[in-house]
Amino acid sequence: MSEVPIYIAGLGAVSALARGTDGMLQALLHDRCGLGPLDLFPVASEAALPVGQVDLEDDAGDPLPRTHRLAGLAADQTMAEDPRPLDAIVLGTTTGGILTTEALLQSGATDPAAFRYHGLGTIAEVLARRCACRGPLITVSTACSSGAVAIALAMALLRRGLARRVLAGGADSLCRLTYFGFKALQLIDPLGARPLDRERRGMSVAEGAGMLLLTSEAQAAGAPQLLGAGLSCDAHHATTPHPEGRGALAAMQAALADAGLAAGEIDYINLHGTGTLDNDLAEARAVSALFGERPPPLSSIKGATGHSLAAAGALEAVVAALAVSHGLAPANTGLTNVDAQLKLNPLTVPLRTPIATVLSNSFGFGGNNAALVIGKDRTRAKSSTAARPPLTIAAAAGLTGVGHDQATWERFAAGGDCAGCLDETTLCQGLPPRTLRRLKRLPKLALALAAQACQGVAPEGLPAAISLGTAWGALSETHDFLQRLFETGQQFPSPTDFIGSVHNAPAGQIAMHLGARGANVTTSGGDASFEQALLAADLLTDDPGQSILVVGVDEAQPVLAPLLDPSVRNAPLADGGGALLLRRGGAPGPTLSLLAYGHDTGPEAVHHLIESLGGARAIRETCGAVLAGIPAAHAAQAARDLAAFAAASGFDGPVIDYRRAVGQFGAASAVAAVLALRMVQGQAVPAALAGGVECPLEGKGVLLLGLGPYLSAVRIALP
Amino acid sequence: MDMDKLIEALRVKIVEILNLPDVTPADIPLDGQLVGGELGIDSIDVLEMVIMIEKDYGVVIDNKELGAKVFASLRTLAAYIQEKSPGLAN
Repeated sequence: MSEVPIYIAGLGAVSALARGTDGMLQALLHDRCGLGPLDLFPVASEAALPVGQVDLEDDAGDPLPRTHRLAGLAADQTMAEDPRPLDAIVLGTTTGGILTTEALLQSGATDPAAFRYHGLGTIAEVLARRCACRGPLITVSTACSSGAVAIALAMALLRRGLARRVLAGGADSLCRLTYFGFKALQLIDPLGARPLDRERRGMSVAEGAGMLLLTSEAQAAGAPQLLGAGLSCDAHHATTPHPEGRGALAAMQAALADAGLAAGEIDYINLHGTGTLDNDLAEARAVSALFGERPPPLSSIKGATGHSLAAAGALEAVVAALAVSHGLAPANTGLTNVDAQLKLNPLTVPLRTPIATVLSNSFGFGGNNAALVIGKDRTRAKSSTAARPPLTIAAAAGLTGVGHDQATWERFAAGGDCAGCLDETTLCQGLPPRTLRRLKRLPKLALALAAQACQGVAPEGLPAAISLGTAWGALSETHDFLQRLFETGQQFPSPTDFIGSVHNAPAGQIAMHLGARGANVTTSGGDASFEQALLAADLLTDDPGQSILVVGVDEAQPVLAPLLDPSVRNAPLADGGGALLLRRGGAPGPTLSLLAYGHDTGPEAVHHLIESLGGARAIRETCGAVLAGIPAAHAAQAARDLAAFAAASGFDGPVIDYRRAVGQFGAASAVAAVLALRMVQGQAVPAALAGGVECPLEGKGVLLLGLGPYLSAVRIALP
Repeated sequence: MDMDKLIEALRVKIVEILNLPDVTPADIPLDGQLVGGELGIDSIDVLEMVIMIEKDYGVVIDNKELGAKVFASLRTLAAYIQEKSPGLAN
């Protein structure tokens, strides 16, 4: 097996402590605390809570929301020494443009153009323009582990040889949603976060951005490396960690195994250490279970930076790299008297000592856990460029306005209109009422899809891992939380709505429903959200027999969907999605291959796409039909690219504009994947979709072509 | 407000805000375990009740230790509201 070390060739850090890694290092060396008062938006309550706010001047002339600007600053720092174009960007975020959106909604704004940077995926798009990246963009939203999960996926891209230079990290800005949301959950320490302290009362909400330039290109000796990553899911509770830290332990064990290290070889542990009662206790138990009574030096920096949510895992990966380069283990800022129950001895002052390996933990809502290992150069680097068996489709289910899988297929195959919003009673048939009582539309759609796809699957065949793509996340919960926040003068927003508002809440519900304790990833990149979930699923399944449930789902919240999604604006409200149970290898059956995915359009991009598919002749020989994803807002560009594809490939089979039938919503391509599977299984394109005469596939597959700002190609075919 | 009326009002509100399936106000026991019992009420529901109690009665329950005592049962909850609410004459 060839070795592919993953080098850290650039760092960027923007936090309440400093703008830049030099400032961050100085702050950590001197154990400074960056927490202070909030002044981004007015807080009605007399007792304002301390936050970790970045020193970033207001720029009324900049149309970009604050998260985008924080991410841009960190990216510029990271790329300063080596600004050559990037192959890919993997970014974690939970807030996107929400701070701007909140102000717009409060002022009653109705111009959709004002909301154009709301989507989580727009940050990576802005960075892609800034850093000349035409390759894949992945936006990860797994709450407070987002930044670390993004880095783990970036590592997989590099190990696979799918990229040589990847910008990876996380960014989040302070906003009303997180400030008042965590307050409603009583998870904020009114005196500022004191992680691991016996008097601790919670976290301090913060903002920031952390970035790493990861590369497989050899670097100078001594450059820090990303040695391993491990992901897991508690599958226990929407917000509370498993009391024994079961998922935390699994993620740390997986990261160590991935790095080829024993627990005793770790020199410093950067704890997640938020300062909440439950997190710190569960994490301490997991650390003790893995490291025994004498763990290496350890600390949480969240008493200094606050908890910058999606940025945290990335900022702490930067700290891990600085720890290795500068021989510094930071202090557990804010700690006065350690909680004896934790049985840990966190560093009370910064420790100067040679450090070769760091384990960095990040855990999030939904029980989403990630652990990274960063260290000095090693020779035992893992590679996964060896050939893998294809992903086979073990089961699938689609859902549209006309009903569940069978109803959707029958209407679609007859050339009918499936677009609409399925009534809640039909939608929720067979789902447990106690689970449903707190869920709004998106998690219900997601659970219905997962339950239907996994119906009849033997217990040993159920997936351990989940990858879910959603363009807009839980719009109902987000809308309802903000509406009540505004209506009650910031007094009484619903904690349940806040918990449900995170993009990864639906995937967390699926994990609990199926008992899926493996990697659990949620991606969000506009109309390519499902394709991003497919790419993540591909990256997360290296070993034969591994299975993963891939879901694409979006909801049509009547106020927000038309404001946020330009394709929804002039179309009837429609929602739904699709779920595919994929297995690496597995029983012979239909296979799914993500053959192309990039952030680019135009003739040259179409040419690259055709090359990725093996050339014009291969397309004609292997594809019997094309399901074209044409978002209404990008119809003109999509039509040009589709025409260029037909001209360059010579493909003359049926081309079906499926959004006309299933409706305009972000995850429509997930429905299309399930419909394509039906055609492949039946080896024919129904007459109504093929110009009036059934079109046999003659052993060929069906190509899903994603058009618009992202070009993608997915082939579903018999082996 | 007398205690019985307060208790009945709380029963109705709890069922309504928590959207408990197959639970009627009468099902909520006066002295039985309110949280973590058969009703299915959990820590997130406690937070929803905290918001409701602050909004409707002006009584703040802002930490978990206090919450654990107050939400022990419907009776302890009503007694705490009765004692602390500025709007309820004792």
